[in-house]
Amino acid sequence: MRKTIIISLFALASLLAQAQEKFIFTPQWTAQAQFAGYYVALEKGFYKDAGLDVDIVHPSVTQTAISRIRNNESQATTLQLAQAMEIIDDGIPLVNILQTSMNNAMVIVSRTGKNPLKQIGEKVGIWNAGFGQIAICMSLNDHLDYRWIPFANSVNLFISGAIDATLAMSYNEYYQLLQTGIELSDESVYRFRNHGYNIQEDGVYMTREYYDGHKEQARKFADASRKGWEWAVENPEETLEIVMEYVQKEHISTNRVLQKLMLDEILELLVDRESKRREYSLRPDMVEQASVLMYENGMIDRQITYDELVAE
Amino acid sequence: MKQEKQKSLATKISLWIVLFAGLIFISALGVFFNESRLAVQKEAIDHADQVLDNTVQRVDNIMDEVKVATDNTDWLITRHLNGPDSMFVYSRRILQNNPNLNGCSISFEPHYFESKGMYFSAYSFNDNGNIITTQEGNDHYQYFYMDWYQMPKLLDRPCWTEPFMDVNPDDITSPEMIISYCKPIKDDNGQFIGTISVDLSLSWLSNTIEQVKPYPNSYSIMIGKGGTFYVHPDTTKLFYQTIFTQTLLEPDTAITSLGHSMQAGEEGVREINVHGVDCYVFYKPLTDTGCSVGLVCPVSEVFSGYYRLINTVIGTFIVGLLLMLMVFSSIISKQLEPLEELAYQAEEIASGHFDDELQESGHNDEIGRLNNSFRNMQQSIVRQMEELKQTNEQKGRIEGELKIASDIQMSMLPKIFPPFPERDDIDVFGQLTPAKEVGGDLFDFFIRDEKLFFCIGDVSGKGVPASLYMVVTKALFRNISAHESSPGRIITSLNNVMAQDNDSNMFVTMFVGVLDLPTGRLHYCNAGHDAPLLIGNIGAGFLPVDSNLPVGAMPEWDFKQQETLIDPDTSILLYTDGLTEAENISHDQFGMDRITDLAHRLQKERTFIPTAIIGAMTEAVHVFVGEADQSDDLTMLAIQYTKHHQDITFQRTLTLINDLKRVPRLNTFIDEVCEAVGFDMATTMQINLAIEEAVVNVMNYAYPAGTKGDITIEAKSNGTEVMFVISDTGTPFDPTAKAEVDITLSAEDRSIGGLGIHLIRQIMDHINYERSDGHNVLTLTKQINK
Repeated sequence: MRKTIIISLFALASLLAQAQEKFIFTPQWTAQAQFAGYYVALEKGFYKDAGLDVDIVHPSVTQTAISRIRNNESQATTLQLAQAMEIIDDGIPLVNILQTSMNNAMVIVSRTGKNPLKQIGEKVGIWNAGFGQIAICMSLNDHLDYRWIPFANSVNLFISGAIDATLAMSYNEYYQLLQTGIELSDESVYRFRNHGYNIQEDGVYMTREYYDGHKEQARKFADASRKGWEWAVENPEETLEIVMEYVQKEHISTNRVLQKLMLDEILELLVDRESKRREYSLRPDMVEQASVLMYENGMIDRQITYDELVAE
Repeated sequence: MKQEKQKSLATKISLWIVLFAGLIFISALGVFFNESRLAVQKEAIDHADQVLDNTVQRVDNIMDEVKVATDNTDWLITRHLNGPDSMFVYSRRILQNNPNLNGCSISFEPHYFESKGMYFSAYSFNDNGNIITTQEGNDHYQYFYMDWYQMPKLLDRPCWTEPFMDVNPDDITSPEMIISYCKPIKDDNGQFIGTISVDLSLSWLSNTIEQVKPYPNSYSIMIGKGGTFYVHPDTTKLFYQTIFTQTLLEPDTAITSLGHSMQAGEEGVREINVHGVDCYVFYKPLTDTGCSVGLVCPVSEVFSGYYRLINTVIGTFIVGLLLMLMVFSSIISKQLEPLEELAYQAEEIASGHFDDELQESGHNDEIGRLNNSFRNMQQSIVRQMEELKQTNEQKGRIEGELKIASDIQMSMLPKIFPPFPERDDIDVFGQLTPAKEVGGDLFDFFIRDEKLFFCIGDVSGKGVPASLYMVVTKALFRNISAHESSPGRIITSLNNVMAQDNDSNMFVTMFVGVLDLPTGRLHYCNAGHDAPLLIGNIGAGFLPVDSNLPVGAMPEWDFKQQETLIDPDTSILLYTDGLTEAENISHDQFGMDRITDLAHRLQKERTFIPTAIIGAMTEAVHVFVGEADQSDDLTMLAIQYTKHHQDITFQRTLTLINDLKRVPRLNTFIDEVCEAVGFDMATTMQINLAIEEAVVNVMNYAYPAGTKGDITIEAKSNGTEVMFVISDTGTPFDPTAKAEVDITLSAEDRSIGGLGIHLIRQIMDHINYERSDGHNVLTLTKQINK
């Protein structure tokens, strides 16, 4: 009798586990409009409609997005293409199930009157959390030999004069810098995408291992996320409201103005410059360019191919 | 009505005064308000300045405390680098010595101490007076990427961080925003080895700054180097927004400029519109932290006292003006009361009550003088009106008399036409259309001894003098021509009389004619008058005249006489300058040309009848003159000679010499003639007597004594009358010109022929004398049917 009950309980538990299998998605940064499409997909029930029980868990100081993926704490995360290549090179095969960024958003911001292309050997801020791979390649390729200063927050270092220039994302730190009242000129802002380094950034990745066992879920998540992004394009105002809810919930040090500007820029980045469409897929040419750049500059030990990255 | 008028004048004057006073007050108040505003503004700035100064001073003191604490410790650190654990003691001691401080970390470069591994950061923090010390570096808190660590390192000098939330998830997290003073730690070689950072609670600082509240709705702000709000009453802005955030979407140059100024460490004051409210922002840098403190004061509050003052002053001003208006209005009304009374009386007088007594004004001012002047004027008007009345009466009387004079004058002119209905040899029509006043035109005619005496004249000037002169002229013409048949002598006589004692220098232009009716011979004399027109079968034209002088102009002037023969049916038109000088509205004159043109037309139409000629001429003048006033008398006289000689059925001629012995021969001739035409015996005897008298007269006087001369007696009869034409070549002598005989005198005393002529006139029907071709021709006519 007791045995039967125990067996029954086990069975029930396993059934429940099956039915309520969570899909944890972790963006690679704190809550902001950069991830608007995913918030929308969750809030508008697109994941639910697809039969997914998705939870969005932002990374923390102790649990970065990469560590969560490695530890199977999250099923999917966003990563920049270069980051993904580094991780794959480290021996963790990843699959890109959705590519949102069709353009590179990285910029080098210098003070008015300065030109990053002429600041050879000067102190340039770089995220201590990664993201700077293409910039490092560019510094080497173009013989600028920047002295990279890793930072947790670029703004204060830059305005205090501790660094001469800083890397920034056109949708994030760029506006944070503008918000300090500094005035920038065209010459003082170097946009990688306009100088032959237009390499895609954000995409959704999962481990190959997980993917192989959950292809249907991966496909559903990608489709629902894509739907979320399309909805955001159609409803930017409401999307901003959703983003602000997440921002406030997470106590993020930002404001509506910055998030609006970020959302506008992020939605722009969805559009391929050549096809003028939102493709939601990796471009083989960009993958190859990134791979070659990183390989040649010793950031990866082998080339990472397009086929390796994409699903199936 | 009068009350209203007076009120309105008083109100008007009062309003002007108040308006003027108002303008002066407004100008003065404008200056006053402006000055006050500047003073209030300066006061506010000084006040804010003072408050900010005090705050900054207090903050400075704390800041200095932090700096001093740090400076007092760093030498200990560099001295004890060989004992890393002593760093815990130092960080703890700083907090112990400075209870105001929030935390202190002494952190080193990764792997600086071999024994400590990658991370070594000795951190103490004040947990409500309980000082806790720990090592805070680890994989999740890589302190060497933090601003407070990197800034002194990269800048190579002590500095203040931007305020920040220090997050260390593995450790106890400070719940407060902190600002850190950081100083690089260097080894003996001057190499950077770490950072000492001392934290100050921002809540303390913000509390201090927030307490600054000089006005009810004023508030303080503090921004960091990056413009971030670290003190702001709107907590949603705290840490998350900068002073520039909103300008990213809605550019606002005023706020941007203020932000830049505050970031640059400047101090000052600006007027900024914050969410629709005008505010003064007083700002000042917070020593060397890079932060700037601002005091935002709504302008309305800064100036609230000033506005209260303005409202009070303006209220007083308006009440004062209203009072002024009432007082002035009342005073002026009172002062104008006599004027109102005067106006009322003036209206009474104006409505015809001239005799109303005007009250004498007791006032000695302008109104009093006006009243008195008005009294004088009224009296003067009454006097003037009386005089005017008298003058009008006189004028009426004179006008009446003038009318009578004019009537008398007109009645003197011939006015029965046709004048000689019984005659078939002459037709006369005359017309004088007088101008408004009595004038000096005249015409006259009469028949004497088968002669038509006529004249037309125009006395110089107008009015009564001219009319008197005309009357005299006409009377003299009648008087002289009663016994004088020569126009030249008639005018000469007239001239001599008129020119005598002519003190008024008046004269008359005149034309006198004597038409011998049996023969149509016209003798005439012109005295400065327009030439008459002749309109007859053979044509129309002016009668040639000597102009001579006007009558009365010069005594003893010898007026030349002229003569012509008038054809039967021919009309003589005489006129005055009232015809030639008739003017229309444009002051054009009728003129000679129009007269002659009309004369030629009449001639062509064979219109010779006097009434028709004058009628046509009058109509032409009326058409020409139109609406214009007649300025002069218009006088015309037309005479048509209509004599047609009937066929002579009987004619005999007898010529005698001037010898009385031939008289029986004459008697026989007469008897034969009378018998032939059928006179009875008695008539024949009378005719014989008359003819004998006339012939004897000629025999006696025509030729000088002792000289022979012929006398021809021609007897003609047409069946209705018998004419005896007695002609001689002797001295010109007109027996008809002799005055009527004075039969009271004896025959010897009577002038020659006097009685004879009288006899002849008694017997014969017509007697006529003509001097023609050197002959005296005396025609005696007797009607046969008589």
